[in-house]
Amino acid sequence: MVRILGQRRILALWLPRLPTDRIRRGKANAVGPETPLVVVAKIDNALRLVALDERASRLSLKKGQPLADARAMVPELSVIESDPKADAKLLEAVADWCDRFTPFVALDEDGLLLDITGASHLFGGEKTMLLKITSLMAKQHFAVQGAIAGSAMAARALARHAPGTIVAPGKEAVAIAPLPVAALALDPDIAHAFRRAGLKTIGQVASRGRAELGARFVRATLDRLDLALGRGERPISPRRKLPDLMVEHRFAEPVITEDAISAALLALMHSLARVLEERGQGVRRLAAVFFRADGLRRELTVDTARPTRDAKILLRLFRERLDALTDPLDPGFGFDLIRLEARDTEREEQVAQGFADDRSEKEIAFLIDRLAARFGVNRVLRFLPQDTHIPEAAAVAVPAQRSLPARMSFAPKQEKKEPPRRPLRLFDHPEPIEVLAEVPDGPPRQFRWRRALHAVTRAEGPERIAMEWWKHATPKPTRDYYRVEDEKGARFWLYRDGLFERETIKPRWYIHGLFA
Amino acid sequence: MSAYAELAITTNFSFLRGASRPDEIASEATRLGLSAIGIADRNSLAGVVRVWDSLRQIARQDEGNAPRFLVGSRLVFSGGTPDILAYPRDRKAYGNLCRLLTAGKLRAEKGGCILSFDDLAQWQEGLLFIVVPSLKTDPPTPGTSHRKRGRKDKVEAHADLKALLVSLATLAPGRVWLAASMLHKGDDRHRLKKLSRISREASVPLIAINDVLYHVAERRPLQDVVTCIREHVTLDTAGTLLEANAERHLKSPEEMARLFRSAPDAIEETQRFSSRIAFSLDQLRYNYPSEPVPAGKTPHQHLVDLTWEGAARRFRYGIPKKVRETIEKELALIAALDLPHYFLTVHDIVRIAGEKKILCQGRGSAANSAVCYALGITAVDPTQIDLLFERFVSQERKEPPDIDVDFEHERREEIIQDIYRRYGHDRAALTATVICYRPRSAIREVGKAFGLTEDVTAALASGVWGSWGSELKDKEVRAGKFDPENALVARAIAFANELMGFPRHLSQHPGGFVLTQDRLDTIVPVGPAAMEDRWFIEWDKDDIDALGMMKVDVLALGMLTCIRKAFALIGDVDGKPLDLARVPREDPEVYDMLCKADAIGVFQVESRAQMNMLPRLKPKTFYDLVIEVAIVRPGPIQGDMVHPYLRRRSGQETIEFPSPSPMHGPADELKAVLGKTLGVPLFQEQAMKLAIVAARFTPDEANGLRRAMATFRNVGTIDSFREKMVEGMVERGYERDFAERCFHQIEGFGSYGFPESHAASFAHLVYISAWIKCHYPAEFACALLNSQPMGFYAPAEIVRDAREHGVEVRAPDINHSDWDNTLEGAKIYKDAGFPRALRLGFRQIDSLGQSAAIAIVAARDQPFTSIADFARRTSLGRPALILLAEADCFGSIGLDRREALWQVRRLSGKAPLPLFDAQNQSELAEEETAPLPVMPESEQVLADYQTLRLSLKGYPMQYLRALFSREGAKSCAEIQNGKDGEHARTAGVVLVRQMPGTAGVVFVTLSDETGIANVVVWPRVLERFRGAVMGSRLLFVEGKIQRSPEGIVHLVSERLVDRTHELERLSEDGFSPRIHEGDIPPPPDPRGAPAHRHPRDVRILPKSRDFH
Repeated sequence: MVRILGQRRILALWLPRLPTDRIRRGKANAVGPETPLVVVAKIDNALRLVALDERASRLSLKKGQPLADARAMVPELSVIESDPKADAKLLEAVADWCDRFTPFVALDEDGLLLDITGASHLFGGEKTMLLKITSLMAKQHFAVQGAIAGSAMAARALARHAPGTIVAPGKEAVAIAPLPVAALALDPDIAHAFRRAGLKTIGQVASRGRAELGARFVRATLDRLDLALGRGERPISPRRKLPDLMVEHRFAEPVITEDAISAALLALMHSLARVLEERGQGVRRLAAVFFRADGLRRELTVDTARPTRDAKILLRLFRERLDALTDPLDPGFGFDLIRLEARDTEREEQVAQGFADDRSEKEIAFLIDRLAARFGVNRVLRFLPQDTHIPEAAAVAVPAQRSLPARMSFAPKQEKKEPPRRPLRLFDHPEPIEVLAEVPDGPPRQFRWRRALHAVTRAEGPERIAMEWWKHATPKPTRDYYRVEDEKGARFWLYRDGLFERETIKPRWYIHGLFA
Repeated sequence: MSAYAELAITTNFSFLRGASRPDEIASEATRLGLSAIGIADRNSLAGVVRVWDSLRQIARQDEGNAPRFLVGSRLVFSGGTPDILAYPRDRKAYGNLCRLLTAGKLRAEKGGCILSFDDLAQWQEGLLFIVVPSLKTDPPTPGTSHRKRGRKDKVEAHADLKALLVSLATLAPGRVWLAASMLHKGDDRHRLKKLSRISREASVPLIAINDVLYHVAERRPLQDVVTCIREHVTLDTAGTLLEANAERHLKSPEEMARLFRSAPDAIEETQRFSSRIAFSLDQLRYNYPSEPVPAGKTPHQHLVDLTWEGAARRFRYGIPKKVRETIEKELALIAALDLPHYFLTVHDIVRIAGEKKILCQGRGSAANSAVCYALGITAVDPTQIDLLFERFVSQERKEPPDIDVDFEHERREEIIQDIYRRYGHDRAALTATVICYRPRSAIREVGKAFGLTEDVTAALASGVWGSWGSELKDKEVRAGKFDPENALVARAIAFANELMGFPRHLSQHPGGFVLTQDRLDTIVPVGPAAMEDRWFIEWDKDDIDALGMMKVDVLALGMLTCIRKAFALIGDVDGKPLDLARVPREDPEVYDMLCKADAIGVFQVESRAQMNMLPRLKPKTFYDLVIEVAIVRPGPIQGDMVHPYLRRRSGQETIEFPSPSPMHGPADELKAVLGKTLGVPLFQEQAMKLAIVAARFTPDEANGLRRAMATFRNVGTIDSFREKMVEGMVERGYERDFAERCFHQIEGFGSYGFPESHAASFAHLVYISAWIKCHYPAEFACALLNSQPMGFYAPAEIVRDAREHGVEVRAPDINHSDWDNTLEGAKIYKDAGFPRALRLGFRQIDSLGQSAAIAIVAARDQPFTSIADFARRTSLGRPALILLAEADCFGSIGLDRREALWQVRRLSGKAPLPLFDAQNQSELAEEETAPLPVMPESEQVLADYQTLRLSLKGYPMQYLRALFSREGAKSCAEIQNGKDGEHARTAGVVLVRQMPGTAGVVFVTLSDETGIANVVVWPRVLERFRGAVMGSRLLFVEGKIQRSPEGIVHLVSERLVDRTHELERLSEDGFSPRIHEGDIPPPPDPRGAPAHRHPRDVRILPKSRDFH
């Protein structure tokens, strides 16, 4: 599509403090409003400032400054490590929000470009629109600057260096002439060359002959200059987060009935499955997006524990999901477009490792998926062994869907042909018992638990386990564990709490579990 | 009671595994009454000398109770073989163990050791082996990156272990044992039974070990921490990488017997095992290399001949009687102590340097003897300074004396290569330096283990100014604004304190060579250093010392490079061949210059503290310089000896000698010790001698004291020495205050003790460099610049100083400069009546390579006439041309920086092809453009600083003078001339920031176009203005002028303001964008979040040099 020059109108937004704004807005990292805040990242092996809030910039801290220097200057500085992903996510969210003004939103460095050609009249003209957008964002606690011009380059330069400017069509060259060369976002070396030459504003650069510049600088530099001056045009590329795979169905007649929707979904699943199969992939997260004829958009996602491409299974998961919805999918006047987006795909082979019976494992995974789809991911748990000496911490319950693909990094130890080292049943709370045993570390001879007396016939131990000293202000006693068997053949796991004489004079005893 | 010997001890020389120091192991083993201890660090013998030495000391104090010491190593194999402890039976077997470890080390990357069972087979002769089966319940095999390795390769399956024992026993019949440990793993008894069975089946005796990682159970937490550091995990995620309990400590024989009550033989076996070992480190005999002695001559005769030959050369007009007598006395002593070999070896190295015309000078005990002067090892004339040789070659210490030789820093490598060539790689190697945890590294690593974020640990670490302190103090923790009460941080700091001083790896010593006659790798394991073709042994200088082995330090000294270059430049004009011994002595002009503290660039005395001392000390003779060098040191300062000395020297205080009460000895017993220094101890050996004379230390004890001070963190021993010395002196009637001060002084010497002989060698270089500066300022500045990086001052200060001394300095230029800085002008120096001009060389231009300079000089058969001409003839690429233009090097063809840069940009990026020469030229000629705006002078100056780090056109501050004058700020020169007590303000560029010692005072040197001003920031003020003090490039100071009687001026600061941003005014960039049409309220000032800036712009002035 060719557009006529001068017709386009670009609104540029700059969020100079996005990282610190993000942190200030977040509730988790409450930083006192009085405390200057900086965001740091490791650059060339040193922590350096990459973003500052307003207060920090007023203290003459600078981007790029080593954190150590900044701290030496401002000891009370609040420092957060940079999280470019979170920044990008936030910028995406801001871009999402900007969708309401125009569908053409492009991501820029620390900012956004909105193609508002033909849209400004909906918002009361360009001036009002710019004011509206920036003030709404300011209400959301974003530092933001904006400008409008006929080219993206000019608009973004103005947003950064002369915010609030609205350039009349064709007047870009005049508007940006007084801006510093840096506004062209040139390679630092080239910007430096201009300044060394005494050409410090865009206007001064533009005043030199084209031949003179052309003989000295690469084409891209001149192009940038031309773009900024409004002498050329480059379309903005609207942001669009592409799913890994996407299939969609447009309906001439909007579909309303559940059967029709199901049929459409199944058909989409099948065509998706075909593509997945070609690629040897399965899907871990699948979204179905329903576009209602009146513009409303509804999205449903399902997660699977293992990559899958079985259309029937996927459809059942969506059914579970639909059944569990508290506010049912309301087709209203019908959906005119249904789209399936495979948001997260993986190679399917990855799954089958480590389990002898692949089929039963698959069935378990499917059961987990169904349960999770219905009851919620966090309500279907499984035990995961932990790498620790402390018996009661040896297993934790985690959402089953998430734990499955996680590497089984640690397997509990048990030697072949040896009795188990840990009891089958571990008490949540060890129960005190009375024990007769030899000091300092002899095994129990007999013990009384819940009023019953057990004579120990066999004992193995001690297995001495010291507590995690760094977790407790006062050291917790070391435990000597014994596996014991009583005269009836019942087996118990007992421990002496505290080393005799080294930690305590009268160690107490507990029972911590039962062997089968 | 059954005796027990612990044979599996790991010290902290098994880096990040063992958690106790050798001396802790030694004393705990003694306390527990073990019959013997076997040190077996992982593939290393690095810690053995220290344990041996500790036990030797214990044995001396506490007769007979120290355990026997067995030297061994824990062989850790790269395959699945379990660890094997190897103990040499005799000296020969010890050589095998060294060679076995050497083989493994040479195969590995730096610091590693890759051993296979085949190596063991090759070198097994005479070694006793204890196989340590790995436990299933152990953490995954350490060393292999954690958790990656499966547990399958654990050898415990009966068959495997038995097979290993059988094959090892076949290889080494009767020399194999199987280790069993009872570490409360839950299945101990079961395991013991199993191992007994295997041992019976394999006919290999079972032996008890406790596989010790630390000396007491309380060390377990530190062991956990070092494990985390080693495995790069935090305590919370380490899980079973950590030990389950705290049992791996030294245990008493009773406890071991109790644990092994079902297998008492295993305990008894430790006695049988140790009785089989006849080797001890005492048996290491050191042999001097034979090269320096010609065949058919005894070493002594050769030394005598060389000495007299040399003396005759030194004293061309006859050897003075006194020198003759001294030489005779010294030679006799050298013969008596059997040291001729040692002096000949040092001489041999110095001779190599002489042949190559590399300047060198020896220092250290014995270096300043008449013999060494005759041999050319030192140039300090024995007639000029009266040093008693016996003092340094002590009869009691059967150790070779210490001689360090400094060489020109740029050419030391040649010497090192020659030493290798002459002695061969198997007989010459560097000693090791044990790199220890320092406050910064300790807190950083421990912080990580505790899961503190990098930000917090970095802040904690950076709060520590100066990395030499031995403890992280509360104050320093607060400096980083962390609440020390904060439990986690407090805990991390406590462990960092504990970890401090632990070795973290071995590194090569910069130049400590060990030379032997025998193969070095039969004495100590040798491994490759980071540099190619460089090897170093596992022991450091203290170990070498303790064993009485000889070492020569081949060190690098920048000032020698500078002096040699200056000598060459002076020789160019005067034709006088100068050397270190031939510079005219005791020139009063030189001393006058130094008394004025005119010492920028002069060796040693150019530091801020030394420059302050010069006018107070007023050196008039060579010996004054010796004192000057020694007095500004932590020792005399901490001992509060500086002021008494100065008062006595200026006659304000009578010279008297502290004395004991009459019944304890003669009142003048210290006169002999302190006579030369007016009754005030200044040198290290005086302090030691004090301990002997006044506190009645034995020479051995005094030596022990010296060593205790030199070793990091010997807290326990130091206290006992303090008690002994102070109380000893007080008991004999000395004043307590004096005794305390003497001990403080010794503490201050620490590892940086400064004996008189060192001071004398340094003083000699002080004198020579001052002499050059005084008479040949241009040559001096030129040589100094050509020897950079060295010394205290940046090129800008050197150039400024030269200009102040009447030297014309010319800018670098394509038609005049070489790579090095050069001198231009009259050849006949003195006749011309003024110094030659100094032409800055291309080496002053940041990031311009030497090859570009060579290309320019090579192409300069006739002057360059234009940029195109220059580019064509030199074939330099555009980056180099841009650098030259940035540095304003095209002045001689009439182009300033701006014009030159604009023109250079037009040249194609690559070197032009000859074919297109004509085309290129015509293209360049045709262009007609409007002139570029003129670059203001202030910006020219800034650009100079950015590319050359100095400017000949002006000084940044002069352009801001009006601004600061309006605020009532004086120039640095005005401050320098201000009245005592006057309230004043000034502003300047921060040159140097220093925080000497522990007092918490910061000294800041400011400079402007008029000179420099010295600012003092007391801790109280620092607290308030920390940001400005630490962060400024341009600093505004308000305070009170303090002028000492000697005319030293300080500005004692009361208020400091960071004015760095004013520097931006110097650039024409300073403009603000015009706000346009829009009537939207202006948003917050976008400054502070500007787009990317070029690094050159950010660094407007070169960074100050900060010393801690």
